[in-house]
Amino acid sequence: MIKIVKRGQPSRAIFFFTPVLAIFLTLVAGGLIFFILGFKPFEALKFFFIVPIADKYGFSELLLKATPLCLIAIGLSFCFKSNNWNIGAEGQLTFGAIVSGGVALLFYEQEGFYILPTVILAGAIGGMLYASIPAILKTYFNTNEILVSLMLVYVSKLILDYLVVGPWSNPEGFNFPETRQFSDSAKLPLLFEGLRIHAGIFLALAAVVISWFVFYKTYLGFQMKVSGLSLKTAKYAGYKGKKMIILVFLISGACAGLAGVGEITGPIGQLHREISPDYGFTAIIVAFLGRLHPVGIIFASLVVAITYLGAETAQIFMQIPKYTGQVFQGMILFFLLASDYLLFFKIKFIGLKK
Amino acid sequence: MKTNLKISNVTKIYPGCVANDNVSLEFNSGRIYALLGENGAGKSTLVKILSGVIIPDQGEIYLNKNNLKLNSPLDAKKNDIGMVFQHFNLFETLSVFENLIIDSDGQREGLRGKIDTIMKKYNFSIDLDIPVLNLSAGQKQKVEIIRCLIRNPKVLIMDEPTSVLTEQETIELFQSLKKFSEEGILIIYITHKLKEVMQLCDEVAVMRRGKLVSVSEIKNENIESLANKMVGQNLKTIKKKKAKTSSDQLIKITNLNFTSEDPFETNLTDINFSVNRGECLGIAGISGNGQSELFQVLSGEIISEKNSIEFNNNYIGDLSPQERREYLMAFSPEDRLEQAAIPQMKIFENVALNNFKSSNFFNNGLINENKIKEHSKKIISDFNVNTDNIELKSQFLSGGNLQKLIIGRELITSPDLLICFNPTWGLDVGAINYIHETLIKINEQNKSIILISTDTDELLKLSDKISVIHKGKLSKIMNSEEVTSEKLGILMGGAD
Repeated sequence: MIKIVKRGQPSRAIFFFTPVLAIFLTLVAGGLIFFILGFKPFEALKFFFIVPIADKYGFSELLLKATPLCLIAIGLSFCFKSNNWNIGAEGQLTFGAIVSGGVALLFYEQEGFYILPTVILAGAIGGMLYASIPAILKTYFNTNEILVSLMLVYVSKLILDYLVVGPWSNPEGFNFPETRQFSDSAKLPLLFEGLRIHAGIFLALAAVVISWFVFYKTYLGFQMKVSGLSLKTAKYAGYKGKKMIILVFLISGACAGLAGVGEITGPIGQLHREISPDYGFTAIIVAFLGRLHPVGIIFASLVVAITYLGAETAQIFMQIPKYTGQVFQGMILFFLLASDYLLFFKIKFIGLKK
Repeated sequence: MKTNLKISNVTKIYPGCVANDNVSLEFNSGRIYALLGENGAGKSTLVKILSGVIIPDQGEIYLNKNNLKLNSPLDAKKNDIGMVFQHFNLFETLSVFENLIIDSDGQREGLRGKIDTIMKKYNFSIDLDIPVLNLSAGQKQKVEIIRCLIRNPKVLIMDEPTSVLTEQETIELFQSLKKFSEEGILIIYITHKLKEVMQLCDEVAVMRRGKLVSVSEIKNENIESLANKMVGQNLKTIKKKKAKTSSDQLIKITNLNFTSEDPFETNLTDINFSVNRGECLGIAGISGNGQSELFQVLSGEIISEKNSIEFNNNYIGDLSPQERREYLMAFSPEDRLEQAAIPQMKIFENVALNNFKSSNFFNNGLINENKIKEHSKKIISDFNVNTDNIELKSQFLSGGNLQKLIIGRELITSPDLLICFNPTWGLDVGAINYIHETLIKINEQNKSIILISTDTDELLKLSDKISVIHKGKLSKIMNSEEVTSEKLGILMGGAD
């Protein structure tokens, strides 16, 4: 007989074990899906998870995709740890890209060392501005940040659409919905000749270190932690709880904005309609898979990045749509949430009782 | 007809705790039984088993020799066992009558007549057609009782029924219960208040740590003997020495008002009082009469006019809690788990919540963990917190130990004034004694206390001066020697 028993306290070991279990279950379920579709499961999984990163180029692509995921997830971890449900990182990414892209376009014929820092800063500010909307509405008008931040995603995408088709479209571009190419001074330097991996990865790594330091070592981080766990306690201790809410939104907006900068000044080099394959949404999965911990998020972003690459190879070699990538992302989240049940309950096998 | 209820060898085990350890008890109608014990003694578990909320791991229940299988509260109701819980289970926005319909298996025919008969018989007067939210706590309890009476119960269980009642309402409740008992209903009365047991009951069963300790006739017991059985050790009685009357004023509140935007909060009107050094001012009242708002105004969670609060010759009405701490005020809020401490955080992190400047808990914006830990160890040993692991999450501390930690955290700054709100709420007798001793010690060191409490005995024991808060207004301030609990009860009910 199987009996489910509540745990006295959530298990620390299980806390780190369930993400691994979730990934394992995702592979099993994925293999099953491939089998039903008529492929050999192991071969298909190999195409999905191993072939794409088997060479130097593939590995560079992996880091390229993991960079924005990691950056956004780090930002989101500040929000989620303090119970602020910012679902609109995709919008903050887009708006950050719009603002930084606008600045980059101002300098399109110029060269200079100051251009890139200005563009990066503009992206962070753009993301912060956009994240401040749900934050301020939440703190001063009691609106629900989930709805506001999510709906603003579509607003930002429409703004981007309007700009690249209308006022910012490339005058010599034959009416293609895209802007001019940015000047080389507005682009993030490539790390290796022939590979697409760029200096944006340092932004992500810096975010990891800074976020760990701020959250675990500073008074500010302590206040954010307390405000997130209990606003009542924050009030009693004399912290400014509302300011903390706005602050975590600004941090996460800045990170998402930087991820947007990394995309347009890195591999893309201009603004067009499709600057992000929903990195902002996928990063939510990354944040939770990484247990909202900076180191966990690094690993999680690499795992989830594979699903992007795997989907592309699977499309090429097996003629299945690249949207299988999203299926895998969904399955990871699904199994993670399901196995989190084990955090609070344990399954006991006991002998048959008469 | 006589009713006989028998509990036989009931055991209920939770992970890490035996809530009921082989408990056997027998009750007969016509008598009122007290089930006495501290928090966590297992009395609630036992009555929840009787009312079908909890299913025991082992043991049987017999009603008039019939073995009952109580798998749900509905089973208990069908077997004529009625229960009034400590917290009311009423729909606030529905009328009294609608609330009663819900529980009467849909037989609306003649229900109103039946209710009227019950109310006439026991002298209840409640308007059946007003929404429940307009009723006082005492009236709500009567609605709950009527709800049980509609079913003609053989057994009526009352779980800590007086915690929300005034003195007068308590007297009325006791009269009704005695009447029910004369009518042949078996009454089981759960409490940790010894005085009530002596007043009301015929026989008393004492529980401690899940075990039944004793069953005895009330006439063979007194308050001390029961207290000792309940705690399992001889308690020393705490007496406060009369304070030297000092005229050195520490805090003065002048014309303080607070109007809330939240309809569920109480407005404070025209609060005026002052506290001298070495004095304890007690503020009595039934919960929900503005105590929480008063606490927040005093602690700085709610900012008021600068001049309305004068502390140590400084006007501090507009300062935040953190700034007030620098003037040597300290605060211990009512809600230990949701406000005073964060259960998910470690002990030493909770200590850091009281961040006064000279503590150096945070230097240049960085956490100084060594300093905090050093401080936490001192609190744990100075205030007898029963653990030696400051890395423990505070959710694993018992209520008493958590309260000691909180009081210790607040007192480590040696503040001039401690404001505490229900500091012993829900604690066991040992912990209550410890907290009371600590508070008396503070007064002896010429420091002052504002004690907001709903426990009248506690107030009479500790206060030098007492005032009563009712609907956000303070009564005149009285010397505690002139006050009796009856007089407080009348004032708490709103009379002048």
